[in-house]
Amino acid sequence: MNGAGLSSRIAETAARLLSEGRAEVVIGFEQGSIPMRATPCLITDSADAGRLIWNAFCSNNLAKYLVPGRKSAIVAKGCDSRAIVELVKERRLKREDVVVIGVPCRGMADPSAIAKRFPGICVSSVDETDGMLTLHGGPEPVSVPVSEVLHASCRLCAAKNPVICDIPLGDPVVENDPGFPDVEAFAALPADERCARVEAEMSKCLRCYACRSACPLCTCESCFADSSQPQWVARGTHPEDVLAFHVMRAMHLAGRCVECGACARACPTGVDLSIFNRRLAADVAELFGSRAGLDENAPQPLAAYSMDDSQDFILDPGRNSE
Amino acid sequence: MRVERIVTETEDGSIRTISLSFAEGSKPFAFIPGQFSELSIMGVGEAPFGIASSPMTPDALDFTIARVGTVTTELHYLEPGETIGLRGPLGNGYPVDALKGRDLLVIGGGFGFSTLRAFTNYALHPDNRGGFGRLVVVYGARNPGLLLYRDDLRNWASRDDVQLIVTVDRAEGDWAGAVGNVPSHVKGLEVDPASTAALVCGPPAMIRYTLPVLDALGLAPSDIFLSLEMKMKCGIGKCGRCSIGGSYVCIDGPVYSLARLRELPGEFS
Amino acid sequence: MTDKITDRDALVRFLERLLAIPGMTVYAPVAEGDGAAFDGISSASEALLDFPGAVRSPRHILTPMTEKLLSMGPDGRVEEAIPTPGPAVLFGVRPCDARAIAFLDRVYAGGDMTDPYYRARRDALTIVSLGCREQRPTCFCTTTGGGPLSPEGSDIMLEPSGKGWSVRAVSEKGRALADATGIVVESNGENPDTGSIGAEMTPRVDLAALKKSLDESFDDPRWQTLTAKCLGCGACSFICPSCHCFDIVDGEEDGVTVRSRIWDTCQFKAFTKQASGHDPRPTGADRFKHRMMHKFSYCIDSYGMPGCVGCGRCVEACPVNLDIRRLMEAFGGDGLE
Repeated sequence: MNGAGLSSRIAETAARLLSEGRAEVVIGFEQGSIPMRATPCLITDSADAGRLIWNAFCSNNLAKYLVPGRKSAIVAKGCDSRAIVELVKERRLKREDVVVIGVPCRGMADPSAIAKRFPGICVSSVDETDGMLTLHGGPEPVSVPVSEVLHASCRLCAAKNPVICDIPLGDPVVENDPGFPDVEAFAALPADERCARVEAEMSKCLRCYACRSACPLCTCESCFADSSQPQWVARGTHPEDVLAFHVMRAMHLAGRCVECGACARACPTGVDLSIFNRRLAADVAELFGSRAGLDENAPQPLAAYSMDDSQDFILDPGRNSE
Repeated sequence: MRVERIVTETEDGSIRTISLSFAEGSKPFAFIPGQFSELSIMGVGEAPFGIASSPMTPDALDFTIARVGTVTTELHYLEPGETIGLRGPLGNGYPVDALKGRDLLVIGGGFGFSTLRAFTNYALHPDNRGGFGRLVVVYGARNPGLLLYRDDLRNWASRDDVQLIVTVDRAEGDWAGAVGNVPSHVKGLEVDPASTAALVCGPPAMIRYTLPVLDALGLAPSDIFLSLEMKMKCGIGKCGRCSIGGSYVCIDGPVYSLARLRELPGEFS
Repeated sequence: MTDKITDRDALVRFLERLLAIPGMTVYAPVAEGDGAAFDGISSASEALLDFPGAVRSPRHILTPMTEKLLSMGPDGRVEEAIPTPGPAVLFGVRPCDARAIAFLDRVYAGGDMTDPYYRARRDALTIVSLGCREQRPTCFCTTTGGGPLSPEGSDIMLEPSGKGWSVRAVSEKGRALADATGIVVESNGENPDTGSIGAEMTPRVDLAALKKSLDESFDDPRWQTLTAKCLGCGACSFICPSCHCFDIVDGEEDGVTVRSRIWDTCQFKAFTKQASGHDPRPTGADRFKHRMMHKFSYCIDSYGMPGCVGCGRCVEACPVNLDIRRLMEAFGGDGLE
């Protein structure tokens, strides 16, 4: 089912859910105000349901807008559904309060990737048909498949189909979890190159906390970064403080991050946060055989204990130190 | 500034008043009641506090501090003889000149009473008392343990040139004084609205219920002065934190007439 | 070698002449990741002269993200850390950014109290701006009172002319710099070549009507619905060339106690939260309303110009595409299209 067909199915479903009282709000996307953008949309009146659309720019993680206790319907891609799975496990949300309108997704287009691919074209409008984008604004229209200009997180997606779903819309997509080639490639670099990469990324950080605000799993009422008693990490943009903030946030997300990329997309200066979050996701997968959001019934690895957890970090006191 | 003395005001120890004198190398300044200063402990931080002492006793400045965070905790643990930093006087203060000759209602609740204590002592000073008309002070706290400035309260109670009503929301122990919230005691006052001005400072709820009472007594909004609580940082109108409308509380305030406040966006109504 | 900037190569040579001035620091747009930012350059080849519009703003050159204000050594003496920069040129800003600097001048250096840290950096800086040949989907400078060739805030304006630029010395500082580099000042600002861009940039709303409407809309329920998708992330403030709020923090650097200021935003929950726990702006809608009202009403009262120059960075950067222009139209305009 193509974009246009899906848009009207989503709108019909939203109108029905609202008028039947099955949801107080439907969270989806509507047309953005500038080319190559769709924007989150919270619909409470069934008469407004026609605003809902679906296209190749619906990249935000809408799980961020789920309010505990409020009966909500949400148009969910795989990554959104993974976030909901974890939020339910953490008892932030009740499963019965969320109606998941599940939409399989082959990945969303990245406006910066488009800009890089076609430098010098200031895109004024985009047509989309069957996974193909036609960009207007240059001397003549150019076309590119969505699959060639995906967000990095979409290229590495492990859940193209929603993990949980109440109302399936759209045709299922073949899953092909690529694993962690990005993490392996980075880990294979010499240490000083990795260090230089991290320093370069951290130097772009403004400490604006857009990453934290966009992340659906950053739900703490009171974030460690804002604490003054005690002050866990200093504020301001000195490199060691910036690094400390990002490492600490990544650690708080270990085993919980659903790798949706919302943080990196929100970052106004393009800091590549996947360096930390994807690495920890790979480590958790290796140490605990677990990946956030993919299994409703699996306990969170860092919140549960089992007798066969890896104990490599415990040195045998009887052995000679190496 | 040199720490001269620290007095614990409340029974639970959460509020203390520190007295600071101008240390060598510092520049003493004159101020008017209602102004504030930024107290600074290098390495910890800086925070704004209303000057709680009268300008007629310039050798020491009092600041009443509730312990709520990093800076206030450090201030609580100061010992006499230590040195801290201070920037001041900041803000506009109460309009003492415009209040000359008027009958005055000084109405304060809880922690916000600090600059009103400064004003009251200023007005009661022999050099100034004759310049004002009748002086009524209504001061309340949640319970007797939270009352501040007990020495001043005793002193004022013994005078006949000021009418003092001290009240608590809830009586405890051997409290024999008035009970009830501050607005309820303002209600019972007999005032001549044409010649009366009111200075009001306290928690938002107290202010919200006191204003209608003052209105019923016939006071004009231009004769009611409020000292606003607002989060402040630089104290000099640059950092943006305390802006309401086109006004910076640290420069145009913290004292605003109710008439002026009503012209500003409704974040404080 | 011509002393006029007739084409791109001549522009590069002008940049080289600036770099050749003894002791001169030159800030220009440079590539940063997939985007660009303003940074010091040591050779003209580092400058990104064809940068796409939404570059990170140059504000950090005048008001660093983290700026030392005071330091206290082991002897307990507190010293001000007022900078003493050598001469510098900020090259390649757009007229909107130059206008934002003119706004910051009113905030930090206007009124009774001048910020000496800002003043020191500002006085040492000469601003050379590049007039705009094209409009991006996010641009709205004319709506805020600016324009693609507005000279406000610039010392030298390079007006697009054919394949090159016509040099206009806007201020004495600009003329002095032009003389120092030997380039010919041709334009006096009359009859600029706006090309097609002039007609496209009709203002979207009338600023005076918007201010009046905002001043009356404090309790308007639309604030809740129109800002419901806002994450409160602060990206808009941090990317804005005219935002200026800061916080003051104490810390340590190399064993020395320092008091610094850091960028802050009214969009953060903690911005107006008081020690008592009371917060006059408790919801995201309250905070975004303040942003709008500050930029389009309060700043006009306090500084005589809006706190927004229509650069469009916030429109580009907002992770949820909360478009400030839509809100401007909702409250103050007949709307476009």
